[in-house]
Amino acid sequence: MTEHPLVEPAPVVEPAPVVEPAETPTPVVEPAETPATAPQVFFEDVAVGTELPPLTVVVDETQMFFFSAATYNGHRIHYDKEWARDKEGYDDVLVQGPLQAALLARAVTDWVGADGRLVTFSVQNRATALPGQELVFGGTVTAARVEDDRGMVELEIAGRRGETVLMPGTATVSLPLRGAR
Amino acid sequence: MTEVSLIPAEVAARVGTEAARAVGEVNRRDWQRWAVSVGDHNPLWFDADHARAHGYDDVVCPPLFLQYAVLGVTPLGDLRADGSSGAASGNLQFPDAPKRMAGGESTTFHRPAYHRDELTMVRTVESIVEKQGRSGRFVLVTWRTTYTNQRDELVAEATTSMIARP
Repeated sequence: MTEHPLVEPAPVVEPAPVVEPAETPTPVVEPAETPATAPQVFFEDVAVGTELPPLTVVVDETQMFFFSAATYNGHRIHYDKEWARDKEGYDDVLVQGPLQAALLARAVTDWVGADGRLVTFSVQNRATALPGQELVFGGTVTAARVEDDRGMVELEIAGRRGETVLMPGTATVSLPLRGAR
Repeated sequence: MTEVSLIPAEVAARVGTEAARAVGEVNRRDWQRWAVSVGDHNPLWFDADHARAHGYDDVVCPPLFLQYAVLGVTPLGDLRADGSSGAASGNLQFPDAPKRMAGGESTTFHRPAYHRDELTMVRTVESIVEKQGRSGRFVLVTWRTTYTNQRDELVAEATTSMIARP
């Protein structure tokens, strides 16, 4: 814990809820608990059938633009409406599959908290989504076991639009055991 | 009645070969731009004190960002007509199936990546198969990818796929 030349030195803080500085110009977030303020979920808190808090997002073209920029994605299907309609036969530009995946992963990493860890993440692109549509990302615990003093939890996860599953998948997360830090 | 394969013979011959190899530096600003574009404000990606308080050495690269840390650049004149670069996929060409979509990805994350880690990605073509779907024929390409850091530690391994349609 001694060589971090790239960040300003700061005192080690206890693992307590982190308070965001009030003046930080954070982008608008959904009205939900952030990972910084949500209580840590422990292995003992979950059982088969436990559901993750769903993450509801309406992707707009601004978000799509920034995601394409951040991922160096020049695919016209995400920004060129004429191309998407006339050349590829879609109704509009398409929400990037990797953005759907990233939102689904966000639902998982938000849930596991700072002491949990994403171990495996597997998704399939099954259906396309358009900007302006309400998408819901969530998951359900399908199995749980203790392994090397950690709780290994299997999840079935999905991105959905209404009843339509856009992106089904599975994930494995590692959760802390209560009292075994 | 037999149809001509959507998979050119020279592309089929690429199965089992290395499709791409890339080295890239993990960059905090890049992953933070990615994270905010996802609306992912997890303090592990942004706040070094928070990350250290939870056992990490520093702010952590979001797991799903790793794949972008090694992306190279493509001159605009070399882009495909649809604007995609093809750089990360070994530029497999399917003239009879030009509509491309990401298929799926399955990744195992072995250890965290930090700012200025140097990642090496090695991607091999695992399979190229033609399939029949509800909306017609398509090609399913599967790659296997490893990400190792500057200490030769395996950071992540992934299987990714792409669908190409006529």
